[in-house]
Amino acid sequence: MIGKGLLKGLGITFKHGWEKNITIQYPEVMPNLQERYRGSLEFDPQNCIICGMCTKVCPNNVLSFESAPMPGSKKKQLVSYTIDLQYCMFCNLCVEACPTHTLYFTHNFELSTARRGEIKRVYSPPAEAQLLTGESQAELIPAEALEPQPDAEAEAKRLKQLQAIKGAIARGNSKVLDKFVDFEEDASLLMTILQADQKKQDKMAELMVDDKNKARKVAAAFVAKEKRDKTGPEEGKH
Amino acid sequence: MLKTDPYTINIGPQHPSAHGGLRAETIMDGEDVQDVIVHLGYVHRSVEKIAESRTYAQFVPYASRLDYLASHLPTLGYVQAVEKLLGITVPERAEYIRVIVAELSRIASHLIFAGSLAIDLGATTGMIYCYRDRERIMDMFEMSSGQRLIASYMRIGGVSHDFPDSFYPAVKSFLGDLPKMISEYHGLLSGNEILQARCKGVGVLSADDAIAYGITGPNLRASGVAYDIRREDPYGIYDRFEFNVPTGHCGDSWDRYTVRIEEIEQSGRIIEQALRDMPAGDYLGKVPRIIKPPAGREVYHRIESAKGELGYHIVSNGTDKPHRVHVRAPSFVNMMALPLVSRGGKLQDIITNIATLDPVLGESDR
Amino acid sequence: METIFIDIAEFLTSWMVGLGLAPLWADLIITILQWAVIVLIITVNTIVLVWMERKVSGFIQERIGPNRLGPFGAFQTIADTLKLLTKEDIVPARADKLIFKTAPMFFIIVSVMLYAVLPLGNNMAVVNLNVGLFYFISLGSLSTICLLMAGWGSNNKWSLVGAMRSVAQMISYEIPLAFSLLGVVMIAGSLNLSDIVTAQNRLWFIILQPVAFIVYFIAATAELNRGPFDMPEAEQELTAGAYTEYTGMRWALFFLAEYTNLVAVSALAATLFFGGGQGPLLPSWLWIIIKTYLIMLVFMWMKWTFPRIRMDHLLSFSWKVLIPVSLANILVTGAGLELFRWMGW
Repeated sequence: MIGKGLLKGLGITFKHGWEKNITIQYPEVMPNLQERYRGSLEFDPQNCIICGMCTKVCPNNVLSFESAPMPGSKKKQLVSYTIDLQYCMFCNLCVEACPTHTLYFTHNFELSTARRGEIKRVYSPPAEAQLLTGESQAELIPAEALEPQPDAEAEAKRLKQLQAIKGAIARGNSKVLDKFVDFEEDASLLMTILQADQKKQDKMAELMVDDKNKARKVAAAFVAKEKRDKTGPEEGKH
Repeated sequence: MLKTDPYTINIGPQHPSAHGGLRAETIMDGEDVQDVIVHLGYVHRSVEKIAESRTYAQFVPYASRLDYLASHLPTLGYVQAVEKLLGITVPERAEYIRVIVAELSRIASHLIFAGSLAIDLGATTGMIYCYRDRERIMDMFEMSSGQRLIASYMRIGGVSHDFPDSFYPAVKSFLGDLPKMISEYHGLLSGNEILQARCKGVGVLSADDAIAYGITGPNLRASGVAYDIRREDPYGIYDRFEFNVPTGHCGDSWDRYTVRIEEIEQSGRIIEQALRDMPAGDYLGKVPRIIKPPAGREVYHRIESAKGELGYHIVSNGTDKPHRVHVRAPSFVNMMALPLVSRGGKLQDIITNIATLDPVLGESDR
Repeated sequence: METIFIDIAEFLTSWMVGLGLAPLWADLIITILQWAVIVLIITVNTIVLVWMERKVSGFIQERIGPNRLGPFGAFQTIADTLKLLTKEDIVPARADKLIFKTAPMFFIIVSVMLYAVLPLGNNMAVVNLNVGLFYFISLGSLSTICLLMAGWGSNNKWSLVGAMRSVAQMISYEIPLAFSLLGVVMIAGSLNLSDIVTAQNRLWFIILQPVAFIVYFIAATAELNRGPFDMPEAEQELTAGAYTEYTGMRWALFFLAEYTNLVAVSALAATLFFGGGQGPLLPSWLWIIIKTYLIMLVFMWMKWTFPRIRMDHLLSFSWKVLIPVSLANILVTGAGLELFRWMGW
C-alpha cells in the first residue's frame, strides 16, 4: 500500500528523536582521540642528530634546518629547525623516517593562528649548545657574561640570545626577524634598517629578547617609517 | 501564439548539489532538460604533474587526496602499481590489512553516496544517519593510521602501522551492526515512496551505452553488467575471498542506489573473511629506502575503487622520481554519462543523476 | 481565565469611553491594538518556531540543536534576527527594483491578514466574518503572487524557475484545499469559523471528516511550501529558488511570512478539525495554542523525514489523486447528510 514506506520513515525518525544525541560538545568536551592521532607536528631539539632524513622524505618542503660545524670537531650543530606547518599534509612520512623520534605528532589539533607568520615554528637548540655555535658569536660574547653572577644563568642565557640575534643581524639573516613582522619583504626591509644603524640594532636586539610584543610594535614602526620615507622622500629626513 | 525558448542554467560550480566543483551547463525548456554539458576541472590541483617532482614514496599522501571519500583506495592502487613496477612482494599480513581498510573505505564511500543522495533529494535526516555510521569507520581509520579522512596509510611494500588491539572489537561491532544500519536506510530511504518515485526510471543507462562510454564500477553493474575488477582481474589477494557482484536490472538511478547498498553488505562479508584468515607477521616488507626503478619500465595497474576502475599508469626514467603518472579516474569517465542519462528528464532528475553517478571531484579533476 | 483577553479589551473600551472618547474611536483604537497584538504574537511565534524547528530537527537527527545562547538555546533566534538586521541589503543591479523590494512586504502583509478571521479562543476573532473560511482561502492564494514577484523581480533564472514552480503548485493545491474544507462547511452549515467551532461541540470533525483532514493536511503542506513540497525554495536544486537574491531583512521577511503562514494554517486545522478552543480545564485560547503547536510539530516531523517530491509528480498527485478524493469526499458527505436527515437526526 502506498504511504506505508512514508509512515515507516516517520516511525524511524520518531524513534531517533528520543535516542541519545551523538553530538560531542567540542570546546567543553574534547573529542576522544585515538592514540595514533596526528595533530600538531612537534620537534624536540634535544634529540636531533641532524641526519636530514626528515627533509629528504618530506613531500612538500615543510621542514628545513640550519646547521653549523661544531668548533674543533667534524660534527655538526643545530642552529635552528623550522616546521612550516601551513604546507604540512600530516602524512607521517617524516615521523617514520626520523631515527631518534625527534619529530613527533601530538594530539593538539587546535592549530589555527591569527597571523600567517605564526604558523611557522622555529625551534632553537638549548642555550648551552648555542654558546658553541659559530666562531663569530663566540668572539662577540663579552667577558662579564661568562662570569658567575647572582641569577647568573638567566642573565647568561639572555645575553647569549642577544648575541645570537646580533650576530644574525650582522650576517644579514632575516629569518630571525620573521617572527616580528608580518611579511617577508618587511623582514628584509627591517634588516637593512638595522644594519645601517648600530644603535637601532642594539635596541631592537634587546627588545627581541626581553619584550617580544614591544619588539613587534617597534619593528612595525620602523618598517612603516622606512616605507613612508621611500615613497615620499621630500617629506623630510630624520 | 505562445512559444517557449530554451534557456541555459548553470548547475554549479557553486551549487548545493555540485558535489564539490562540478559545473553542469544545462539547456532547458521549462523544467525539461534538453541537454547537459559537463564542465570539469574546477578542483584541478595538477596531481599528475606533482607526481613527476616527488619521489615514489612521497606521492602516497597526494594519491590519497584523489578520492578523499575513500582515501585508502587510491593509495592502494598507487602503491600496488609501484610494487608491480619494482616486483616487490608484500607481506601476507599487510595484504590482509590492505583488504580490510580498502573494503572499509568502500563502505564509507557508499555511505556518503547514500547520504548525499538523501540530501540531494531533500531528505536531510537520511544524510545524518549515513554520516553517523560512516563516523565509526573514520574512527577505525584514526585508530589504525592516525588520520581520519586522508589517511595515507599505505606504504610501498605494506602499510605504515599494524592494527592496534582496539581495532578488532571496533570493526567486529561495526560489522555486527551493519545489517541494522542497512535496514534503517531501507526504512528511511529505500522504502520511501517519494524517493522511489524520484529514482525509478530516472537516468536510465543501458548496458550497451555504459560499456560504450567506458563506465565502470557500481554504475556499470547497475546497468546489469556483472563486471568487478576484484573478480575479473583480481589484484592483491582478492581471489581468496568469496563475495557476490550485485547487479541491477535497467541501469536507472534506483539500481545505482540499490547496487551500492548491496555492495556495502558484500564488503562486510569480505572484511569478515579477511579478519578470520588474517595471519600474524610483518606489516611492512623490506623495501629499498631509495626507490629507483630501471629506466623505461612502465606499468598499468587497476583496482576496483568505490567509484569504478581506478588505474595508474606509471612510467619510470631511472631516477627516484617517476617520469609520468597517469590516473585513470573513474569519476571522470562516469561523469561523461551525465548528459546521456539526463537528456529528456526534468531539472530535478539532473540532481538525482549527479548524486547516483556518485562523482568525487577531487578524483575526476585531479 | 477564559475571557481574560476579552475582559481586557472591554475594560479598555469602557475606560476610553469614560474619558469622553466617542465609542467609534474607542473601537478603532481597540482594533489597532488587536492588530498590534497579532503582529506581536506572530513575531514571538516565529522566534519560538524557528527555535523549535531547529530543536526538532536536531533531536530527529540525534543532534542537540542550538544550545549556546540562553537556556536550551532559546535566544539563538533573537541573535539570528539581530544578525539579519545588520546584514547588508543587496539589490541586484539588473533586478526590477520596485517589484524586488515590495515582494517581501506584500508576502508578510498577506500572511498577517490571514489572522483577521482566526478565532484565537472563544469569541476572540479580530473580525467575526460570516465568510471567514472563504476569506482565509482566497487570501492564502495571494501569496503566490508575492512569490512570483520575488522570482520575476530578482532577474535570476533560479528565482524564476522557483517562482513558476510555486505558481503551478499553488494553483494545483488551492483546489483540493478548498474542496477538502467544503465537507466541514457542509456539516457545520456555515463559513463562519466561530460557528464551525461551535458545531464541533459534540464531535470533532476529524472523526467525521478524516479523509478531508488528510487531503487538507497534504494540500496545506504544499501551500506552505514546506518539505516535502518545498518546490519554490528547493535548496538542493534551485539553490534557494525565489529567495536566491534576497539578503538580510528582506529574506527574513519571507522567512517570517512562511512561519506566519504555518501558524495560520495549523491554527485553521485546529479550528476546523480539532474543535478549536474546545477542551477541558484550560481556557480556550490556551487549548488552541496547544493544538496548533502539536499540528506544527507534525509538519516539522514530516519535513525532516521525507525527500522532496518531483515537480511533475507533485502536480499529477494533486490532479489525479487529491482532487478526485476530495470531490468524492464531498459526495459522500452530502449523501451522508441527506441520509441522516432522512433518518431524522
